[in-house]
Amino acid sequence: MAVFSVFQTTFFLALLSLRTLQSEVLSEPLPWAPESLKVSINSTHQCLHLQWSVHNLAYHQELKMVFQIEISRIKTSNVIWVENYSTTVKGNQLLHWSWESQLPLECAKHFIRMRSAVDDATTPEQRFWSNWSSWEEVDVQNSLGHEPLFVFPKDKLVEEGSNVTICYVSRSQQNNISCYLEGVRMQGQQLDPNVSMFNLHNVAFIRETGTNIYCKVDRGDDIKGIVLFVSKILEEPKDFSCETRDFQTLSCTWDPGRDTGLLKQLPQSYTLFESFSGKKTLCKHKGWCNWQVAPESQEMYNFTLTAENYLRKRSVHILFNLTHRVHPMAPFNVLFKDVSVTNATMTWKVHSTGNYYTLLCQVELYGEGKVIQKHNVSVKVNGELVLSGLEPDTEYSAQVRCANANHFWKWSEWTRQNFTTVEAAPSEAPDVWRNVKSVQGYCVVTLFWKPLSRLQANGEILFYNIVVEDLDRPSGLQLLSVPAPANRTELTLDQRAYQIHVTANNSVGTSPASVLVVSGDPGDEEVEEERVKGTEDGFSLSWKPQPGNITGYIVEWCDRPRDPLCDLQWKHLGPNTTSTVISSDAFRPGVRYNFRIYGISTEMVPYLLEKKTGYSQELAPSDNPRVVMSNLTSHSFTLSWKDYSTESQPSFIRGYHVYLKSKAGQCHPGSEKAVLSDDSVCCKYKIDDPKQKMFVVGNLQPESFYEFLVTPYSAVGEGPHGAFTKVTTPDEYSPMLIRIILPMIFCILLIMILCYLKSQWMKEKCYPDIPDPYKSSVLSLIKSKENPRLTIMNIKDCVPDTIEVVNKHEGTGKSPTEPEAAKPTYLYLLPAEESYSGPGPCICFENFTYNQAASDSASCGHVPVPTKAPSQLGLLTSSENLLTALEKNCMNSLEEIPAGESSLNYVSQVASPVSGDKSSLPTNPPQPELCSEYKMQMAIPLGLAAPSSSGSSSLSSITLLDEGEHYH
Amino acid sequence: MQAQLLWRTLPSLVLGLLFLSMPAMGSCSDKYPELLGQLQKQADFMQHTNTLLDLYIRSQGLDKNGLKEHCRERPGAFPSKDALQRLSRRVFLRTLDTTLGQVLLRLAALEQDIPKAQDLEMLSGVKLNIRGFKNNIHCMAQLLPGSSETTEPTPTSPGASPSPTPTLDTFQRRLEGCRFLHGYHRFMRSVGQVFREWGKSLSRSRRHSPHQGLLKGARRMQLSGRNKRLMPRVQLAPGSHRGAPGG
Repeated sequence: MAVFSVFQTTFFLALLSLRTLQSEVLSEPLPWAPESLKVSINSTHQCLHLQWSVHNLAYHQELKMVFQIEISRIKTSNVIWVENYSTTVKGNQLLHWSWESQLPLECAKHFIRMRSAVDDATTPEQRFWSNWSSWEEVDVQNSLGHEPLFVFPKDKLVEEGSNVTICYVSRSQQNNISCYLEGVRMQGQQLDPNVSMFNLHNVAFIRETGTNIYCKVDRGDDIKGIVLFVSKILEEPKDFSCETRDFQTLSCTWDPGRDTGLLKQLPQSYTLFESFSGKKTLCKHKGWCNWQVAPESQEMYNFTLTAENYLRKRSVHILFNLTHRVHPMAPFNVLFKDVSVTNATMTWKVHSTGNYYTLLCQVELYGEGKVIQKHNVSVKVNGELVLSGLEPDTEYSAQVRCANANHFWKWSEWTRQNFTTVEAAPSEAPDVWRNVKSVQGYCVVTLFWKPLSRLQANGEILFYNIVVEDLDRPSGLQLLSVPAPANRTELTLDQRAYQIHVTANNSVGTSPASVLVVSGDPGDEEVEEERVKGTEDGFSLSWKPQPGNITGYIVEWCDRPRDPLCDLQWKHLGPNTTSTVISSDAFRPGVRYNFRIYGISTEMVPYLLEKKTGYSQELAPSDNPRVVMSNLTSHSFTLSWKDYSTESQPSFIRGYHVYLKSKAGQCHPGSEKAVLSDDSVCCKYKIDDPKQKMFVVGNLQPESFYEFLVTPYSAVGEGPHGAFTKVTTPDEYSPMLIRIILPMIFCILLIMILCYLKSQWMKEKCYPDIPDPYKSSVLSLIKSKENPRLTIMNIKDCVPDTIEVVNKHEGTGKSPTEPEAAKPTYLYLLPAEESYSGPGPCICFENFTYNQAASDSASCGHVPVPTKAPSQLGLLTSSENLLTALEKNCMNSLEEIPAGESSLNYVSQVASPVSGDKSSLPTNPPQPELCSEYKMQMAIPLGLAAPSSSGSSSLSSITLLDEGEHYH
Repeated sequence: MQAQLLWRTLPSLVLGLLFLSMPAMGSCSDKYPELLGQLQKQADFMQHTNTLLDLYIRSQGLDKNGLKEHCRERPGAFPSKDALQRLSRRVFLRTLDTTLGQVLLRLAALEQDIPKAQDLEMLSGVKLNIRGFKNNIHCMAQLLPGSSETTEPTPTSPGASPSPTPTLDTFQRRLEGCRFLHGYHRFMRSVGQVFREWGKSLSRSRRHSPHQGLLKGARRMQLSGRNKRLMPRVQLAPGSHRGAPGG
């Protein structure tokens, strides 16, 4: 057969050579030359499609031929493409060939011709070509229409990075045309006067709606353009893998990579092809595809995943054994049984994956959110695992997942389930401490205990039992039950020793007891307090080791010492420990914390060892004391602040500063100058003893202004420089004057009060309305000392004969010296028989006391005594002076009267008709006889009743009155 | 960007819901001034290019110098303002309804060229607005006198055909779409001005005589219309039920 074929080919070649030679000679076409060449175009794809047939090829003949195709652009001599197209030609077969032009076909004429030869692969250089066909011209411009401008290619799809040629065709050579790519002008190459082309290299993706390229006539409104759809390169699918969860379906997944950006114009597809079965499926989704596992036991699979769009095709392959791609489904029906205090049995089931597969299951046990146990279990169908080492009354979470034990591929998802172990009796005794106070002969014991931790409680603590045992009377037990969650209780005990047992109880049982002994005497007062310095990390405390049997130490403090409840805290320490660091989140700067260190004896009796106090951080004093000033003198004053508590300050007070401001600005010894923050200068006294809360500021100037401030200071600073208190020292003499004047005022007031209270007595004694001769001490005095013969006349002995009536005109303004001022009218009274008891001396007098004008003129100090100088009048303005004057006048009058001429003298009250205006007093003293208002009254014997020569001038009258009766 | 989108989308949705509220209730408002006010506000809102044209220009890459200048309305695509003012109220409403119907069709065609989901969402909001606006036009037509009469011929808008010639390439289609949307916004602005004139005539008529004024306004508008057809003299008090506004 092969021999025949070679012979046939040789024959045909010989024949062809012969025919060629003949045709050259005879100018006839050779057999098998291309004929009926037709050219069509596809503008969308810029393709030229050639169609032809082979001349004289018999119907049954089949010949391997090569066709040489030449393509020229613009003119035939400008050949741009030559290609040999080899194919096997059958008789009467229409042959096709396509060529994609880089330049849009509309932009230039193209010419195509071809020739043929029998394809002899063994001797290609000895081909005998047929004649060229005639040039076929392709000119699309003629069919474009009559619009002035065209731009090509229309709506071309390319990948980013491609090279694209753009061209425009203008109908007028006069037009100046500019072309732009997204607004940027392009530089082109002119193909002919009406056509220019632009080569775009490495085009980029700009937007999903394509790149706008347009050309405009410079002096016209015409615009034409194209949209170049640039696609991102289709990526190869990544992470392509397939797996099965149930041996019925293979689930294949992959990462399709980035989008091409032209999903509408350039849709992409994914195809899954399995080579062993020859099956193919078009995936509906972009990133995954399901494949039905063949019912027959096909173990090996060879998949090809092909991603494809119009421009590109990408493929990836995987080959695998189905049993190696098993992704088990999550275990189910996870249960816990036989859950005890510390153990639990976990069971679960797995989905069947065939009887021949063993699964490896992983169990994780979670406690408090952390993995505390991990176990691996081989499982066929059902899994079981005993979890041990658990804590009582604790919630746990266990999760399980499985994978193929023989060929691990992927773990299944976790399946999680919770369970809780059962309760047990509390394992630890509660941590107990006490606070003892002595109240009215009793011990008030406050017991505190800390709640047990979850691990110690082994369940919910329901109550605490407190047993109080009287150590002196062992039979005296007292039981107290305190419900949880209380953490304290108060006991009132007498002054004996008691042992207290505290236990915590849950629903299962009782904890060990915590034992504490309370004695009647706390014995806390004998220990001195030491200062400690705290840091941010806490207080470092140390104490001396105690000789003897010590079971341990307890450090006690309050987290909130300023609160009434104070939040008592304590810390147990071992017997060999002599130092510790106390730290608490509650510690705050500027708060003083007090620590007490107790030793616990073997009898469980705590006794105080040491006291410590300190600050976690000292702060400057925030408050100044309230200062009381006293003992202010002209040279000093005293400051005291006794109610200032140094204990409640934010740091240890080391003393006080007393600032004193003065205008003088000089500081005396014992003080120093200080400049305050406001640049004012003052004197500073320093008190180094914080217990000294009094200070005497001395060396001051009288009548000077001072300002003072007392502020505490500590190691970290002093208190605020707030408002100064102002003080002014008094002058030097004021105190002395005050010492004199005050007693004087007091005495005067006392006299005035006495006078007021004894006014009646005084009146009666000194200036009675109607003088009572019996009560006159004057008389008695005179009588006793000078004239023992003087006696008091009895009124009954007086026989009245006349009554003198004195008419006095008021307000006449006349001087009392005028003779008409008073014309006394005398009534002469005759003694009545009834009232007149017998002959006796008759007294006739006038009483000016009841003269209205006279009574209103009490200020009149005019004493009508000729022997007295007028200068005395001014002093006799008060009643006392008046009394004095009266007494004096009285005495003088009596002195003037000879003892033998008169046996009894009366002194009348002052009754001046003139006003108190001293200026109106006459410069010359009035004559005694003219001062009619002032009369000397006296009792005289009847024989002397007639006015005497001297009596005429004195307007005196003698009136007879009954004893105790007054007549007006 | 999301905030900007929200800013653009939210009013559209609100207006859309406003438009659709009446058909959802199944009845038209019989308050002429209220309906006129709504139409005016809706037209004013729809005239803004940021509701549609700006989105289109940006998505199609037409926001480039030398290109955006060609995004101008083609004459004759939409009725001019003068032409709209010359129409009788009834014919005006019918023209408006027809034109907007064509706009809806054109927008459906333009939708094919918008790839981004968020832009499509916004376009859907615009279409919703137009449908609501058409419904309000229908309600307004119900309030005009002689609503039961035979319809007048509606002037056609030759440029507002559903879609341009299908043989156009993408670039030409893009430009034509831009020009169309430009014309659409201009058209809505003209529509708003016509409605504003309706409102002015309503207030004028209220000042003079609530009833006579409406009637006169209506007569003037009708006489100025192209058809010069006299409308029946039906007086309408504002707010009366399904009466003719006479405006």
